[in-house]
Amino acid sequence: MNRRIAVWTAFILLLGSLSLVTTAQESEDAASPLLFEQPVLVTSIGQSAGAAQARVVAIRAGIEATYSQRATLEELEGIKTLIIVLGASSKGLGAAGVDIDGEIAWANELLAKVNELGILVIAMHIEGGARRGPSSDLINSTFAPLAATIIVKGSQPDVEWTADESADGNADGLFTTIATENDIPILYIDTTLGAVDVLIELFGMTPAEG
Amino acid sequence: MTHRTQPTLLRVGAGMLLTVAAFFFVMASAATSHDIRPGIGVSEIRWLSDYLPALEGTPGDTEIYVLRGEKPGGAFLLLGGTHANEIAGVMAATLFVERGTVTQGTVYVIPHANNSAASYNSGVYNAGTPDWIELTTRAGEVRQFRYGDRRTNPSDQEADPEVFIHEQSGLEFDGGEARNLNRNYPGKADGTLTQQMCYALFELAEREKINVLIDMHESSITGRLANTLVSHPRAVDIAAFSILDLEIEGLALKQEVSSGEFFGLSHKEFGDRTHVLPFLIESANPGQEKSISNPDVVNDPRSPLSDRVYLQLRTIQAILTNHALLEGSSTAIAFEFPFGLGELLGADLGAFLR
Ligand SMILES: [Zn+2]
Repeated sequence: MNRRIAVWTAFILLLGSLSLVTTAQESEDAASPLLFEQPVLVTSIGQSAGAAQARVVAIRAGIEATYSQRATLEELEGIKTLIIVLGASSKGLGAAGVDIDGEIAWANELLAKVNELGILVIAMHIEGGARRGPSSDLINSTFAPLAATIIVKGSQPDVEWTADESADGNADGLFTTIATENDIPILYIDTTLGAVDVLIELFGMTPAEG
Repeated sequence: MTHRTQPTLLRVGAGMLLTVAAFFFVMASAATSHDIRPGIGVSEIRWLSDYLPALEGTPGDTEIYVLRGEKPGGAFLLLGGTHANEIAGVMAATLFVERGTVTQGTVYVIPHANNSAASYNSGVYNAGTPDWIELTTRAGEVRQFRYGDRRTNPSDQEADPEVFIHEQSGLEFDGGEARNLNRNYPGKADGTLTQQMCYALFELAEREKINVLIDMHESSITGRLANTLVSHPRAVDIAAFSILDLEIEGLALKQEVSSGEFFGLSHKEFGDRTHVLPFLIESANPGQEKSISNPDVVNDPRSPLSDRVYLQLRTIQAILTNHALLEGSSTAIAFEFPFGLGELLGADLGAFLR
């Protein structure tokens, strides 16, 4: 694990110095988002593989993050920030042996505990249209409103989406609506790796120091 | 490259008219030999039957191209043609054998993992698909490659059971899946032809101490699995890193992880039962799209073959790069081509073959 972090810290430094990372586009509403604290736990609500990618993003941002595909209440101990990656995968749910209702019940329990412990939540939607079906949207609409900040890979209002159409997780503006209605800062990215810069900013990381 | 004698031929031979036998012989050899021209990177050619002698001379035997790098490293098994109609994998493996060189580690390439399935096209999966595709080389030569079937040729294996039960898990499938290479792992030494092929591939993985296995597949272009990278949970990090690398280049892949319901599949069974880190890549084949009649499996602009071969090879490269970074250089594997892979995009695939 340490070697992995070291490797990716070096990689981040390289990326940072070359300015290769796609810059995230902040919405006007979120000019100064909250500063989040480490350590971070990354988990999935809906059991898609996106959480594994979010963990990679966190590692590349140099953040101390552990990953648990379906976190337990015990794993929240000592955690300051929980990143929930939203999106239902029928295969993933099948593997966990739960249906969508069971998943929502578990996540409600997890987030109640999170609230009780004063842990801040970042909601991420980074798998595009593949995680925007009825089951996914049930999860998206239930849990995105509980976040302190939303990060979505998708189009923002009045900006043309230039990446692959299937990668747009916000084509209908669902997350924009959730953010507006609940007064939550929302950050738009056009590639998953764009979340690296977003996290660096949200956690007040200095890119030069990894 | 001619193939060994077929046992179907032996069975058919006695008591039949010589002309009929000759006809079958022509059919059988045409079905299982392939126009693959090993390049300078190939150190050795083996057979799958080297890992299970019972396969020798059967339609399930197939060539294994071994490419050794100068620098020691890990071992990588690349499978094309697990489903012989999913030709991007077959052609990516063929291109690897003809033009690829390995700089570190050892690579075992099997362009026709289910060689029996490459002997026919039942048309069941899409009636309008061809039996052969034609690609023109830079020198102007027209080369032919098989467009095969998803499953083992029914004439090469005992009749399908009513229900196919994956022996090790008890999971039940449609009877025809008894001939699906990717439902029969870990296989069985004295089982059906399909089970024997699976068993031999497991033997290969074990004896050659394979570190990474990539099984190349295709799905329909609008299907849920199109452009997806699947991995075993043990390889989820490598897959995630790879997908994020490829996304920067504009190559959008979805990520899936194998789970409990995937019994019999390569990424599940190799991952659960061996030390191999297994992956499965799905590109998008117009020939598997039911709504397209008489699909152009080579040039359909929605998903041309050269782009699909690019997707396979570029993804393999990303996986091996991240495997080296995450697992360490002692088991690293690296390869190169005398051209940039990006040149394949929108190009004529034949121009890259020998
Ligand atoms: Zn397949």
